[in-house]
Amino acid sequence: MRAFLAGVVVGIGTYVFRSLFIIALAKRRIPEAVLTALQFVAPAVLSALVVALLVDSDGNVAVGIPELAAFGAGGVVAYKTRSHVLTLFVGMGVFWLVRALV
Amino acid sequence: MSIDRVTVRRAVADALPLYVPAIPFALVIGLAITESGIGNLVGWSMSWLIFGGAAHLTLVTLLGSGVAWVAAVFAGLVVNARHLMYSAALAPTFQRQPAWFRRLGPYFLIDQAFALSTIEQDSEPEVFRTYFLTIGVTFWIMWLATTAVGLAVGPIVPEEWNLEFAIPILFLGLIVHGIDRAPKLVAALVGAGVSWLFAGLPNRSGLLVGALAGILAGTLAERRSR
Repeated sequence: MRAFLAGVVVGIGTYVFRSLFIIALAKRRIPEAVLTALQFVAPAVLSALVVALLVDSDGNVAVGIPELAAFGAGGVVAYKTRSHVLTLFVGMGVFWLVRALV
Repeated sequence: MSIDRVTVRRAVADALPLYVPAIPFALVIGLAITESGIGNLVGWSMSWLIFGGAAHLTLVTLLGSGVAWVAAVFAGLVVNARHLMYSAALAPTFQRQPAWFRRLGPYFLIDQAFALSTIEQDSEPEVFRTYFLTIGVTFWIMWLATTAVGLAVGPIVPEEWNLEFAIPILFLGLIVHGIDRAPKLVAALVGAGVSWLFAGLPNRSGLLVGALAGILAGTLAERRSR
């Protein structure tokens, strides 16, 4: 019961995080300066998230040659083709291949 | 109301490859639930209560390890605090949406839905709504199903495959799609660099520091370029 309650609290908190500005700013005029800053949320948060996903349990960023090669290949494919499927296949393919070689 | 089949099909086609690397993650959560001793139904219910993998795994693991209840809940909330920034970023787009969608939509605002929808922001409001909801519902159904499968079978995907590494690769691809101007590139590079510097902070809070630094850097770069 206590565990379920923990899920309810984190669930409600998460919904509040996700909805707060969407609902609070629904009818307000958003200042130009804020709109400018908001354009940078997606590249800034998502790239910070990529790094956070690579952090191991000791707080170190676990990136070697296979990871860098995969990021390079995946980035180029994403830029050229705009296809998620191809990005996934080429990125993981290069990762496995380079890991087997080095 | 007629359903915009073209947009639905496009959204499902965009969502499915992003779901593939979430599968081993869902299976790990299933395993973590069975090992935590909090009960399968309770642990699985967090899939729809929270609908977010990182916070879910954090909460289940901490509750199972005997940490104080308040500390476990706090850690789960810190992990999901980045969604505040997603909410702010999409607020202008949601202004053009009906009130019911402003209340329902945010429930589905997971990382993947955010990343895909920022690229879709300039679409007609109706197309955006259909796209966003299709992404959200597709992920929701898959997530509830695969976390349930994880309870029964545990991690069936071999760990040596490191399939979870596909998640950062796909996010990198989505970042690349979204960068159309130099200041956005600055925001992405500073966001990643600062997040790296603060990687040792607990509960992945280095992510928040990096994100804020990236937003600031992008804004300053934009000002300089004018």
